[in-house]
Amino acid sequence: MTPLVQLRGVSKDFRGVMAISEVNFEIRPGEIHAILGENGAGKSTLMKVLAGVYQPSSGEMLLDGQPATLKSPSDALSHGIAMVFQETNLVPSMSVAQNIYLGDEKLFNRLRGLNIQAQRYLLSLNFYVDPTVQVSFLGAGKKQLVEIARAVHHNARLIIFDEPTATLTPEEKFHFFNLARRLKEEGMAIIFISHALEEALQLADRITVMRDAKVVVTDETSKFDRDRIVQAMVGRSLSGELYSDQARVPRPMGRKILSVENLSMGNTVRNTSFSVFAGQVTGLFGLVGAGRTETMKIVAGVLKRDYFHGGTVRFEDRPVRYRTPRPAVRDGIVYVTEDRKIEGFFETMTIAGNIQLGDLAKGDNLLTPTTPRQGRDLAVEWTKRLGVRAIDADARVIELSGGNQQKVVLAKALVQKPKLVILDEPTRGVDVGTIVEIHNFINDLADSGMAVVVISSYLPEIIALSDRILVARQGRIVEEMDVAEATESRIMYAAVH
Amino acid sequence: MGKVRLSQEGVVFALAVALFAVFAVLLNNFLTAGNLIALVRSVSILGILGLGMGLVVIGRGIDLAMIATMVVTLSWVLSMAQAGTPFDTALAYGFLLAVAIGLASGILIAYADIPAIFTTLAMGLVIYGSGRAFLFQIDVQNTPSGVAWFDFLGRGLLFGLPMPIAAFAVLAALIALMLMRTRFGRFVYAAGDNPLAARITGVPLRPLIVLQYVVSSLIAFLAGIVMAAAVSGMSTRVYNSTMIYDVLLVVVLGGISLSGGRGGVRNVLVGTLLVGVLLNGMTILDITYTTQNLIKSLILLLAIMVDSFINPRDEQTSQQSQGDI
Repeated sequence: MTPLVQLRGVSKDFRGVMAISEVNFEIRPGEIHAILGENGAGKSTLMKVLAGVYQPSSGEMLLDGQPATLKSPSDALSHGIAMVFQETNLVPSMSVAQNIYLGDEKLFNRLRGLNIQAQRYLLSLNFYVDPTVQVSFLGAGKKQLVEIARAVHHNARLIIFDEPTATLTPEEKFHFFNLARRLKEEGMAIIFISHALEEALQLADRITVMRDAKVVVTDETSKFDRDRIVQAMVGRSLSGELYSDQARVPRPMGRKILSVENLSMGNTVRNTSFSVFAGQVTGLFGLVGAGRTETMKIVAGVLKRDYFHGGTVRFEDRPVRYRTPRPAVRDGIVYVTEDRKIEGFFETMTIAGNIQLGDLAKGDNLLTPTTPRQGRDLAVEWTKRLGVRAIDADARVIELSGGNQQKVVLAKALVQKPKLVILDEPTRGVDVGTIVEIHNFINDLADSGMAVVVISSYLPEIIALSDRILVARQGRIVEEMDVAEATESRIMYAAVH
Repeated sequence: MGKVRLSQEGVVFALAVALFAVFAVLLNNFLTAGNLIALVRSVSILGILGLGMGLVVIGRGIDLAMIATMVVTLSWVLSMAQAGTPFDTALAYGFLLAVAIGLASGILIAYADIPAIFTTLAMGLVIYGSGRAFLFQIDVQNTPSGVAWFDFLGRGLLFGLPMPIAAFAVLAALIALMLMRTRFGRFVYAAGDNPLAARITGVPLRPLIVLQYVVSSLIAFLAGIVMAAAVSGMSTRVYNSTMIYDVLLVVVLGGISLSGGRGGVRNVLVGTLLVGVLLNGMTILDITYTTQNLIKSLILLLAIMVDSFINPRDEQTSQQSQGDI
């Protein structure tokens, strides 16, 4: 069978830095192909070369056995290759129907006709999305459906997904898997980049592992297991360290540091109550849309609760009502975002500058003198504690890998000496090696007596880290359990509705 | 990126020096004492305004009301002084007016979330309009005579330097110190780089924005004092000139990015130097006002293009920052 797309010795460099080098890769019609690798391994670059976003610096590309060059993403699309990016490319202010037919509207476009056409089309794909809804009101899973519908509409034969499941709830993931299998049966080839190894093992026909800009191995999925993938990804085996199955002894509850009663905000947080104790890790699990992030953002003053009947938050036995994060930070509640690029770090600043800002933000007097020296001292101390790998403290955060950026954001928060730290998806977009380090660090924090809340969508992470587990569902904490009595199925049972 | 920005400053500085050398050789009147004093005077006022604008732009804002603030506060102060109010008292009133203008712009921008460019554009018109309607009647206000320090500020020398340039130097040093070495300065950079991250980290974002506009307003007031002292008066013609674009030109050409968080006082200095030499040279060359404006506007456009090429504003971040809660 002729491969759909074939790359021979393809390299791409950015100002002399090799993003992918000498890559040989092929994708067959009707296969599901997973691309795995640590951050910075070159996965995204490889996909962007396939999708016409980048042109290779050297090497050759064959489409259906014929040499071809893809000048742009739209050129690639006309050859049947579509890419669905991590951040969706939909126009948020337009309806689903308008997005699907974006780019090939007729001169006089009848909205009603378009909606009916879109409705029929979506139903033919078995997608249950209302074509008249504005895209900005859709959840991540539905947005992805619209993107896929758009790609299929453009007669794509190969759809490339960049971390398709990162923003999906387990439920939506399940739908995505089914959909991928159905598309495959119709002869469509699918490539997806993922950080979740189980997904790759479960869904893919073949798996390619990349490391340091090179393809390490491509093989049938049946020839892989977790250990072999991880070993190929990092060049070392971590299976014992990561998510060990052995039973842990949960830390005992310390004093009650936070108690929340009947907290409400619009219809995302509904009358929820829970407590957090010092000296242990409280895991907060829930599907996307369960209001986990919003609940914790209210606690940390990032969002505001309802003015009337908004409930009460007591921190250290004192009722508090924060309207901005600043008083919360000064009281000792620090929130570490799930989206470090948008609300985490300062990209123009160095590692030292970022960490120093955390320290400065706790203080009061605007005219207090500061010196770069103080920042550098802090950076040296914290990069050592967290194991940030960078040339020096003057490296800019934007130049670091995802894992190291996450560590800097953590350091910026912890330098504020919080009593309660809320970590929202602390290992999202972080490579396997760093995940272990961050987990160890979180355990150290709890051991030192701090109250730690970890929000995560990944069950093994919740179970591996938490002493106590809270499960959120539809804006409310519905269940609370000790880790000793927790099982994945019990947590998931509480989380689904 | 660091290298690129450094070289941008270097390039601008080299350009300014080269332009100065070319004018010095080719133009007879350029190196005369009279012209150099005029150059220094215009440069220092432009530079002082550039310091205020630079501060706001680093914090991801813009203050288009600076010229209006400068003209109206000083015209009011001078007309009060003419009418018999003691000069010091009049200055105090002007100071309060400048603070009030900064507060008004800042509060609208920070708390009502109106984009800075529209707020300050409209604010400039409002200030100038109400100034003409309520505060002073005639176009040109003369300085009161017999205020010794004021005359000295206009014509005196400090260590051989004309006072306006000395005032610019002192203010530049102060602002540089404030930006690099105080908590306020670091907050301004943080807010300009990523307002959402700054807020979550605990930076008092909204009060900080208000404070920036108060500072830029006060710097405009200060520039007005220096200007009035140097030319013995204040004319409303200044408001109708293209000066605000010259100030923007200083800031952007010097290399302070309109996307916020990047640049510093050094950039204002080199920008001022280049723009000052350029304007002065063009005047001596007897290039018509219209042509001068055309040249300046083309350079401004080019500088903004280069800026957005070197420092593209991240699409994701800018999208998010519009929805600050």
